[in-house]
Amino acid sequence: MKRAVVVTGLGAITPLGGNVAESWNALIAGKDAEAPLDLFDTSGCRCHRAAMASVPPISDLKPKALARLSRASRLAIPAARQALAAAGLLDSSGRSVLETLPLSVSTTAGAMTLGENFLRNILAQKRIRLLAEAARYLPQQQILDLQEQLGFEGPSTIIANACASGANSIGHAAEMIASGMADCVLTGGFESLTELVFVGFDCLQATSTDRCRPFDLKRSGLLLGEGAAFMVLETPENAEKRGVQPLCRLTGYGHGTDYFHLTQPQPAGEALITVMRQAVDSAQISAGDIGYVNAHGTATPVNDGTEAKAYQTFFGDVLERTRISSTKAAIGHTLGAAGSIEAFFAIQALLTGKLPPQLNLQEPIPEIASVLVKENESRTDLKHTMSVNLGFGGSNAALIFSRYEN
Amino acid sequence: MKTDLAVIGQGAVTPAGVGLAALLQGTPVEIPTPFVARPDRTWPVFRVNLKEPAFDRWQKEPRLRRASPITFFMVEAAEQALAGLGAAERAETGLIVAFSTGCLNYSRRLFEAIITQGQKAASPVLFPETVFNSPVSHVAATLKLEGAAYTLAGDETAWIAALKVAALWIEQGRVKNVLVLGAEEFDSACLDAYQNAGWLRKREVGSKFIPSEGAAGLLVRKALPEDRRIISQLEDGFIYRSKIQASAAMKRCLQHFDSNLCYLESAQHNWLGEVEGTLMQARKFHMATGDYNYLGEATLASAGWNTIRALQAFSETRSELLVPILGATHQIGALEARERKSLV
Repeated sequence: MKRAVVVTGLGAITPLGGNVAESWNALIAGKDAEAPLDLFDTSGCRCHRAAMASVPPISDLKPKALARLSRASRLAIPAARQALAAAGLLDSSGRSVLETLPLSVSTTAGAMTLGENFLRNILAQKRIRLLAEAARYLPQQQILDLQEQLGFEGPSTIIANACASGANSIGHAAEMIASGMADCVLTGGFESLTELVFVGFDCLQATSTDRCRPFDLKRSGLLLGEGAAFMVLETPENAEKRGVQPLCRLTGYGHGTDYFHLTQPQPAGEALITVMRQAVDSAQISAGDIGYVNAHGTATPVNDGTEAKAYQTFFGDVLERTRISSTKAAIGHTLGAAGSIEAFFAIQALLTGKLPPQLNLQEPIPEIASVLVKENESRTDLKHTMSVNLGFGGSNAALIFSRYEN
Repeated sequence: MKTDLAVIGQGAVTPAGVGLAALLQGTPVEIPTPFVARPDRTWPVFRVNLKEPAFDRWQKEPRLRRASPITFFMVEAAEQALAGLGAAERAETGLIVAFSTGCLNYSRRLFEAIITQGQKAASPVLFPETVFNSPVSHVAATLKLEGAAYTLAGDETAWIAALKVAALWIEQGRVKNVLVLGAEEFDSACLDAYQNAGWLRKREVGSKFIPSEGAAGLLVRKALPEDRRIISQLEDGFIYRSKIQASAAMKRCLQHFDSNLCYLESAQHNWLGEVEGTLMQARKFHMATGDYNYLGEATLASAGWNTIRALQAFSETRSELLVPILGATHQIGALEARERKSLV
């Protein structure tokens, strides 16, 4: 018998704010974080803008220790700390009360900036010691940073399924709990902007020189972003033992791979439809029960067209019962963190009834034009929300969050 | 892990050749390779020979025309492990790939072009192939594996994580079989990284650290009465930052295993191997075998190779083996492999 899974703590650092409330309030207010990118030189690129996060201070670290942390860790640690605090799992010194806490985490580039520095130096044939760059760019080093700073150890799973990774990491954590493999898991994703990845998307002409316009007929590409979001998942019984009120349930998870092409989805979105069906089946609900979908919606011509067709097919006659938006116009595409940050938005929608508006819309694509979220739209009857992600290599994932009723 | 995993297929690509015989008996050739930062100096490296006939069929696959070497290692190891599995069964087979650095050759080439020729020189052909998830997509598409697929990143212990995910998928009924692959490809930048980590020291013959590459694959399913080769225990999550912490982490990990278990030396010719040797001797664990040739260190591929070696090393008197999976940059883990006497 599968065990129930609840969310008891959320934490986020996004381009819109340094915590859950700041990020959510700015999103609902229709703000976006697009700005000139100043983390590295972009003079040779087509695109020069991104959605950068403000790296928060970590006050309990000495400057030397702080300097050793990568930008990726500087985003991940505060977000994870917020989630643990919200779930009542931090002691007065800001350390985890659990000595062993499994982690299920996602990223696509880890601390690639350190790797770039390493390559830059060795290619220049500089004979200087580069131990930190060589050793600390790998994703497991950010996991170790998290574990050291927050004071726990335990098994960790680092999922790198490209842009679906964030949803996969949360879904995997939920499956660990449902199966009895763990009672409580810290899960989430992180990503920091790096030159290699930015230039890579730019050379593919996947980034836009215009505004990021998900699900718009005039969409021309994505806006890259960065950030981190973490959540604590556990069994209701585990939460009850600590006297913690769950925020919501995680009821559905579907994942699969579309092998049509390395960088393009199958035009009808068949894999995504299958994944969404898996998710509603595991949640034991029907498509018409989903009141809000946080869509992947990168604003690239290929992705959004396919995704919209998939929603049209999946929801069919009940499409009008749901509302859909992509929040990437506000925070950018945060790659390995996208699934986690967007799952956090789907949860907030469920908790507040407020829906993130679809920004920068001029001519909505017809398949889902009528259900794209408008400004100040809210629904007080939300019982289930879904977060959907797709990635390079064909990774597709969908998560369903449901209202917690004791 | 509630379910014992039966190993029903194995595959290996090594610098000593392709296949299990090469893994168990092959001798790799040392190839002097220059450092990136010091082209005048070399260090020996073990490389997979991509011109071996076994790779010919993959070179002709349209999907793989731009793929990185790691993809070729993986697809060949995967096909060996899947041998005999029909199309219907492949469609029910999940895929989990674990590696540390992924498509390093292409990442390095892409970034080298950016910094030496400018951002406009970045190749849209190379970039998608640098994404961690690309090899798993190529392998699944080429071999028509239609179950779930994950790419995991980490040090050697990601091998344990991958096997745990496989066990979870099987317990849930998500898939019937799971193909677990560990793989790594070498790039000259690795030499510079290892040198910066202080691992490239001149030592006595036979204990020099040699970077390597390749892949290992295990096809696993829920153990049935007729299955003989079993993975029965997986432990990980014992983290460390320093050598002292690594030793303590190893002790904590080993407490989860029977102290009378024989063990297969992990053959890491770096400081972790020294810690392992000291600790195992102090705990009266016994060396299972020193008969295999050193294939160098290929991180996740090495973790897989050692597991396969353990599965091949059972004898009349030895039906359980402890396989240390020592992560070089994060954590310590280990697994227990058992040979189950036929029950049917």
